[in-house]
Amino acid sequence: MRLFKKTNIDFIGKRFFWYIVSTIMVLIGLVSIIFRGISYGIDFQGGTEMIVAFSPNVDIGNVRIVLDKVGLGKSEIKSYGKESTLLIRTSEQAEGTTIGTKIRNALTDGFPGNNIQTLREDKIGPRIGKELRTNALLAVLWALGAILVYIGLRFKFRYGLGATISIFHDVLTTFGFLSIMNGLIPGLNLEITQEVIAAFLTLIGVSVNDTVVIFDRIRENEKVHRSMSLGDLMNKSLNETLSRTIITSGTIFLVLVILLIFGGEVNRGFAFTMAFGIVTGTYSSIYVASAFVLDWTRYQNRKKAVTA
Amino acid sequence: MRNQLTRIIITVCFVILAIYFLWPTIRDYNYRKQLSQLTGQDSIAYAEKHHDDMLDAKMKRMKLGLDLQGGMRVVLEVDLIQLLEDVAKNKDDKFRTIIKEVRSETASNESSIIPTFVNKFKADTIRLSRYYGSMRDDDSKITSMLEDESSKAVDRAIEIVRNRVDQYGVSEPSIQKQGGRRIIVELPGVKDENEVSQLLHGTALLEFRMMKDPQISYKVMESIDKYLTGKLETDTTAEIAISTEKKKEPAKRKDALTELTGNTAVPESDTSKEAQFAREHPFFLYVKPDQHGSGEGYIAEKDKDRVVRLLERPEVQRLIPTDLEFLWSARVQTFKDEQKYYLLYPVKKTPELTGNVITNAQASVDPEDNRSIVNMEMSSEGARDWARITGANIGKRVAIIMDKGVFSAPVVQAKISGGRSRITGMDSPAEARLLEIVLKAGALPAPVTTIEQRSIGPSLGEDSIRAGFTSILIAFILIVIFMVVYYHSAGAVADFALFFNILFILGVMASFGATLTLPGIAGIVLTIGMAVDANVLVNERVREEMVTGKTLRAAIDTGYIRAFTAIFDGHVTSFLTGIVLYQFGSSGVQGFALTLMIGLVANLFSAIVITHVIMNIMMDKGYHPKFG
Repeated sequence: MRLFKKTNIDFIGKRFFWYIVSTIMVLIGLVSIIFRGISYGIDFQGGTEMIVAFSPNVDIGNVRIVLDKVGLGKSEIKSYGKESTLLIRTSEQAEGTTIGTKIRNALTDGFPGNNIQTLREDKIGPRIGKELRTNALLAVLWALGAILVYIGLRFKFRYGLGATISIFHDVLTTFGFLSIMNGLIPGLNLEITQEVIAAFLTLIGVSVNDTVVIFDRIRENEKVHRSMSLGDLMNKSLNETLSRTIITSGTIFLVLVILLIFGGEVNRGFAFTMAFGIVTGTYSSIYVASAFVLDWTRYQNRKKAVTA
Repeated sequence: MRNQLTRIIITVCFVILAIYFLWPTIRDYNYRKQLSQLTGQDSIAYAEKHHDDMLDAKMKRMKLGLDLQGGMRVVLEVDLIQLLEDVAKNKDDKFRTIIKEVRSETASNESSIIPTFVNKFKADTIRLSRYYGSMRDDDSKITSMLEDESSKAVDRAIEIVRNRVDQYGVSEPSIQKQGGRRIIVELPGVKDENEVSQLLHGTALLEFRMMKDPQISYKVMESIDKYLTGKLETDTTAEIAISTEKKKEPAKRKDALTELTGNTAVPESDTSKEAQFAREHPFFLYVKPDQHGSGEGYIAEKDKDRVVRLLERPEVQRLIPTDLEFLWSARVQTFKDEQKYYLLYPVKKTPELTGNVITNAQASVDPEDNRSIVNMEMSSEGARDWARITGANIGKRVAIIMDKGVFSAPVVQAKISGGRSRITGMDSPAEARLLEIVLKAGALPAPVTTIEQRSIGPSLGEDSIRAGFTSILIAFILIVIFMVVYYHSAGAVADFALFFNILFILGVMASFGATLTLPGIAGIVLTIGMAVDANVLVNERVREEMVTGKTLRAAIDTGYIRAFTAIFDGHVTSFLTGIVLYQFGSSGVQGFALTLMIGLVANLFSAIVITHVIMNIMMDKGYHPKFG
C-alpha cells in the first residue's frame, strides 16, 4: 500500500508565507502567555494539593464553603477527570502535612456520611518549586546546547543553528498553545507539571529527529547532485522524505491520541502537549529549520559577492 | 554468511538474557494471581508452600514506582542552622542575631548555609572560636569542623530514619541521600500519614539496657518451645504462671503453631531425624540459641516475620516474664556461611541509662592491634551512674538500643569511672562508624524538616497501571496492523522487531533493578513511536532503491546502509536530550528519561540488526519479502 506517489511539491518557494504564519503563531502565544498567563502545577508552585474522591458527588461550591470555614476558601478547587473526583490546591504553607489534615477534617465534618477518599496528597515546600523551575529551564537550555553542538558537528554549523531555532519555535508555540487552551476544555488540566516538562523535552527530541532525517537527505543529495541549487536540493529532499515524515508523525500522533484517551488523568497533560508538539515539530523541520538554512546560506553568499 | 551467524547468535543471547532477567517478575505475577484466586486457609497454605520462592521472586522482580503501587514519598531536610545553634557554646545575643539573619537569608535563596554563616562572623570581625572549638583554633579549622559536623548530622538523620522504618516494617522502603542535606524516603503501600510523620520526626531514643541472664532467657525460650508442642502443662520446671483459660488453650496453641510453621507441619509419618526435631521443637527450629550460651537467638532473615508474629501473640507473651523483653538486632547480620540472620536479644525491660548523657562518640582504631573501636564520653552525672552500673555488672553484657533496635551488646570488662568508655570488638570500621552515629543520635539530635511529602492511594495506582497498559496495548495493536497493511511482509518483520524491542527494554530495566513508573510507561509508548520511525525510514528507503531498478537483495542492503545515518543521528540527538532529562529532572522525569534511553539503544539494535537478519534469512530460504 502507498499513500503517496512520487510528489513534486514546491515547499521551499512558499516559505515567506509560512514565515508570516509562524510569526503570528508565536506572537499570539506570547500575548496569551503575558495576559492569560501559565498555570503552574503543584510541583512548581509549592503548597498542598489533594485529589479527593467523593461518593456521592458533591458540588464544588459546597466544598468551597466548607473549606472557607477553616480559612482555606481561596483554594483552587476543580474536577479531576471524573465528576466525583476533585482536585483541591492551596499555596498555603505549614509544617509537615497539617494543611492536608486540615482539609481532610474539614471535608469529613462538612459532608457527614460521604465516603471521602484521598487518592493523592502532595505537599511541596516553598523552595522546592523554585528549584524545579530552575532545573526545568536548565534542562531545556542544556538540551538545546547539546543539539546545537551535535548537529553542528555532524552537518554544518548553520544546520545546527537552524535546528536549534526550529526547536525554539516549537517550544514557544507549544507553550503559547497550552496557555490558550488551558481551561477551555472541561476536565483537561493543562498546567505546567513535571510530566508536561517531560513532554517538552520529548518533543524537542522528536522534532530534532525529524529535522535530522531531512538534513540527512539534503547532505546525501548534495554529494550526488553537485550542480543543483540549494533550494532545489531542499525541495527534492523534502519530497523524497515526505511519505516517511507523514507516516512517522502520523503514527506518533496516533499513539499520543491513544495515550490522551486511555492513558489516565496523569498522562493527559503529557499526551496533549506532545500531540500539539508533533504537529508544530513536523512543520518547523520544513519551514523553520530548512528554510532558515537556505536563507542564511543565500545571505552569506550575497555578502561574499558584495565584498568580493 | 559468518557475519550473519554472529548477528543471529547475538540476538538469541539478548533474547535469552532479557527473559532471564524478566523471569522473577513473571513468576511474581503468577504467584500473586494464584494467591488472589485462593481464599482463607487455602491462600495461607499456598503462601506457606511457596514462601521461599515467592520471597525470592519478590526481591528480584521489577520494582513499581509509588505512582503505580501507592505509598508515600517524603523529602526531609536536615536543619543545619538548628544544628549550628545546638552545637554552639556561650551563645549570646550577637550569636542569636546572626543565626536569625542567616535563617532569613538562606530561606529565600539556595546559598549554602555554612559559608554564609562564617562570612557573617568575618564581617563583624568576631572569631568563631568564641562559640565553637577551643580558643586556639583558627576560623578555617572551625569551618571545616562545622562542615564535618553537618555531614555527620545528615548521616545520623538517615540512620535514625532507616532504623525506624525497619522497625515499622515497611516492605521495600527506599532511603536515599540527595545532595548535601536531603533525605528521600519512599514507603510503598503506606497510607497512614500521621503515623509516618511521627515515625520520621520524633527524637531518637537511645538506651542502655542490661541483657537478661542467659540461663533465664533460655528457659523462657524453652517454655515457648514446649508450649507449642503442648507439653508445657505437664512440665513444672518453668516458673511461669499458666493462663486460667485452660480449656481454650489447645486451640490457641494450635493457632500459634500455625502462625509459626504455617500449614507445612511435618507429617507424623516422617520419621527422619530432622522431622523428629521439627515436631519436638517447633520454636527452636526457627530460633537457634547462641551456642556459647550468651543468650541471643539467631533467626534466618526469611523467618523473621513469623517469629515476630508468634512473639506478639498474647498467650506467648504470657510466657515471657514481665521484666524481660525480646528485642531484634537493628540490622541483619551475615555470618561465615553467607547466611543472613537477625539476632533476638533478651534484654531487661527497664533501661539503665538513656542516651542524653552521652556528650561525644568517635569511631577510631586501636593503635596497638589496629582493630576498630568507638570511644564514648558521658556528662558528669551520666558518668556517675555509668560507674555504678558497670561496677555492678562486670562480665555481663549491656545492649545499646536505638528506637527498640539493638545495635551492639558489648561485655562490660571493668568498672568505668570518669565517663570515658571504649567499645571494642567491632568487625569493621564501617560497623564502628555506625555505632558512632547511633551513640551520637542520643546526644545530638539531627533536626529535620519535611520539605516535600506526597502520598498516592493504591486505588489511583491501580487505575494508572491499567490506563498505562491499556494505552500501550492499543497503540501496539494499531501499529502492528498498520505496518502489515502498509508494508506487507516487511511490515510484519518490523512488528516482530517491535516485539523484541519491548522485551529488551523491560529486560534491561529488570537487570538494572530500575523502577517502572508512570512516566516510564510514557517513555515506552514513545519508544514504540521511535521504533516505528526507524522501520519506516528503512522500508521507505528500500522502496526508493527498488524504483531505481536494483535487485531485491541489493535494494535491501543499500536501503539499510543509506537509512542508517539518519536513524543514527536522530537517535543520538534524542539520546542526548534523554541524558539532559536524567540530569535535571525530578525522579518522575528521570524514570521517563531512563526508559527512553534504554528504548533508543534497543531500537538501534532491533530495527537495524534484527530486521535485516530476518530479511536475509527469508531471502536465503527463497522467500522474497514484499515492501508493499
